[in-house]
Amino acid sequence: MKSRFDAPIFKWAIAVICSMAAAGGALGQEHFPQRPVETIVPWGPGGGADQLARKIGKLLEADLKTSFPVLNVPGATGNAGMTKLLAAPADGYSIAILIGDTAATLVSGGARWKLSDLTPLGVLMRQNSGFFVQQASRFKTWNDVVTEAKAKPGTIKVAILGFGSVDDMTLGYLAGKGITLVPVPYASPGERYASILGGHVDLLFEQAGDIHSFLDSKQVRPLLFFSEDRVEGFADIPSSKEVGLEIYLPQFRSIVVRAGTDPQRVKLLADAIAKAAGTPEYAAFLKESLARRDSFIPAGEAQKFIAGEIATMQKMSGKK
Amino acid sequence: MEIIAGLGAGFLEVFQPMNMFVMVIGLVLGMLVAVLPGLTLVMGVVLALPFTYSMGLLPSIILLTAMYVSGTYGGAFTSILFRIPGEPIDVPLLWDGYAMARKGRPAKALGWTLCAALGGGLISATVMVFLSHPVAKFALTLSSPEYFAILIFGMASVVSLGGGSISNAFISLFLGLLIATVGVDSIYGTERFAFGVPFLQDGIEYLLVMVGAYGLGEVFQRLEKGFRGEEKLMGADQEIVTEFPTASEIGQLKGTFFRSSILGIIVGIIPGAGATIASFVAYGAESQYGKRRKEMGSGIAEGIVAPQTAATSSVGGALIPLLTMGIPGSGATAIILGAFLLHGVQPGPQIFVSSGPMVYAIFASLFVSIIGMCILGYFAIKPLVKVLDMPEPVVSAFVVMFCFIGAFAARNNLSDLYVITAFGILGYLFDKFKFPIAPLVLGSILGPLAESSFMTMMVSENNDWTVLIARPVSATVMVLAVIALVYPIHRQLRERRATRANKP
Repeated sequence: MKSRFDAPIFKWAIAVICSMAAAGGALGQEHFPQRPVETIVPWGPGGGADQLARKIGKLLEADLKTSFPVLNVPGATGNAGMTKLLAAPADGYSIAILIGDTAATLVSGGARWKLSDLTPLGVLMRQNSGFFVQQASRFKTWNDVVTEAKAKPGTIKVAILGFGSVDDMTLGYLAGKGITLVPVPYASPGERYASILGGHVDLLFEQAGDIHSFLDSKQVRPLLFFSEDRVEGFADIPSSKEVGLEIYLPQFRSIVVRAGTDPQRVKLLADAIAKAAGTPEYAAFLKESLARRDSFIPAGEAQKFIAGEIATMQKMSGKK
Repeated sequence: MEIIAGLGAGFLEVFQPMNMFVMVIGLVLGMLVAVLPGLTLVMGVVLALPFTYSMGLLPSIILLTAMYVSGTYGGAFTSILFRIPGEPIDVPLLWDGYAMARKGRPAKALGWTLCAALGGGLISATVMVFLSHPVAKFALTLSSPEYFAILIFGMASVVSLGGGSISNAFISLFLGLLIATVGVDSIYGTERFAFGVPFLQDGIEYLLVMVGAYGLGEVFQRLEKGFRGEEKLMGADQEIVTEFPTASEIGQLKGTFFRSSILGIIVGIIPGAGATIASFVAYGAESQYGKRRKEMGSGIAEGIVAPQTAATSSVGGALIPLLTMGIPGSGATAIILGAFLLHGVQPGPQIFVSSGPMVYAIFASLFVSIIGMCILGYFAIKPLVKVLDMPEPVVSAFVVMFCFIGAFAARNNLSDLYVITAFGILGYLFDKFKFPIAPLVLGSILGPLAESSFMTMMVSENNDWTVLIARPVSATVMVLAVIALVYPIHRQLRERRATRANKP
């Protein structure tokens, strides 16, 4: 009979401990950080943002001698996680991953935060997005896509993350250039990848790092990258600038803290993050994720970078 | 033969002490999270993920798959004994399981789930080992129209359950669907029925509907009767033995086992669909095509075996696209994929070449996990059934506490407790006025899934809904769904006409 009641009590205890950890406020001013720093990942576990948080957390833990437990709060294109961050006190004990797609909701609507609510601690990853096709696709080059899109507008389907995302804005820009593609939203990566492998869509909009395995196993191949110059490791794939498309909008992943946090704490965290980003282990992680080698942007310039990306998105979507 | 040899080596690998140790931990944890409504199976696997960082790849995967497997089974206990579905998977299980338990045969009901979990699990593990590549290829041909059709079939077949008023069932279903639309929609991000309230913007969790309407609703009902009225389920002095179904009983249900396993595997393979849909669809199929379809819902074995078999066999199904293509077939497999990636291994076609022995060890671990889970389950049944010996008010108090903890743990949101109470009252009123609860819960669970697959289909096909009947698989399933809908309406009309004719 005992085992029957162990279960709820055990879990109840966990719930209580967790809520106490969350509620335990701004005690201890001298040494920071004195207790674990909660790392909010506004996406599910296993994804790109999650992997970044865990990698950086591991590096920071060694440096700052406290743990960086990851809390996954998925929902509303990252906005559920942002709400969570803004609900916590501005004491530096909660940090969050902010990615380009969540920033896009400031433009497309649905954002429950303003850029001024956040203080960036650094941009950690930048990955160029691109178009990918199935290995056996009828499209051999990007030009094939352009030719068919102009001959039969609105027939080529592209799997994207969702409406209002960076993916969607990029397609909007292409439509303005006379290349009309049909965006099909698949929020879950599994469905998105199945749609391209199963031939339910013609193109996939994605970052190369997220589909590493499909590239390695020669199930998909890239046609075009949205970048100013050719992407490392894909020397024979044209960049968007070469084909006259001046839209780049790399997927970025940054770490932010609530605005109004004690500047000393912000500096301490930002410095530790900069140090972590300079380690060979982090460089190897970037290489593995097929991210740009020069991904890292330190705290001082990160605000400008993110604001610049948002301004570009605003221009692309034609909203003011 | 290569497969057999690989699998043999895999078994040896799994029987290493470390691997066995993490497996047992995984099985126990999986059962625990499945029992509590607030902690879903997927969340449980998420919570376990950080512990795998320091482990090797194989023990990590064994731990997570063991949790996944036993998570599809553990919720059966609370579902059958207390009418609290620990996971949405367990909702169809309580329709017959709870009914059987209330008829004084809880041990038998639990025995049947154990057999179903074992049967379904082993069949799907076998299919996974021998047929993963062709099956994965087939799965890729399915897309949102098929997915939508399967969900419609799931809803259609359950509406006609129970033999009560069809119109009441529809009212209940549509109410469930309406509840599911509250919040921000997943495709266009539009707010619906939120009225600017942040709490409503986040939507109403199906968990609250499910646990409130069933668990709390039942307690309210007993409260009204002053906890009298129900005779004791078991005599206090009576020796409780786990009642396993006999071989001939199982033999009679072999069709159910077979059908439900296949359905479970197929639903499991489809990216985005997991054990929950498998469980609903298998129950629906059983109530449409089973031998004793008329008695479904009254506490018969088929109603327990079909959903449990399908739920457990969906695990093998969901692992197929993960291992062969690197596409997660369900929420839990998405996290298992994360564990692979964190250890620097990319699942996909090359994994059979690059890490063949490990893949076979994973296959082998699935077989061992399923058997281990059933052994654990066997020993758990006896003490669990004893709980029912306690006075009903005490049990009910625990049920209420259990429901509230579950509701709170899901989002750490106090207002969810008011919502679950409201659904408890709704469940009570539904029971009182002979409205079926099942369609309400079904609508709130399957509604969002059906909506997003429908929207994806419409966007993808240029708003041409005829693809539903133009594609062979979706057309077949849609026809079955229409039959499932029309037949009971037709029957009811005919019966009504017959009774009217009989009246003088």
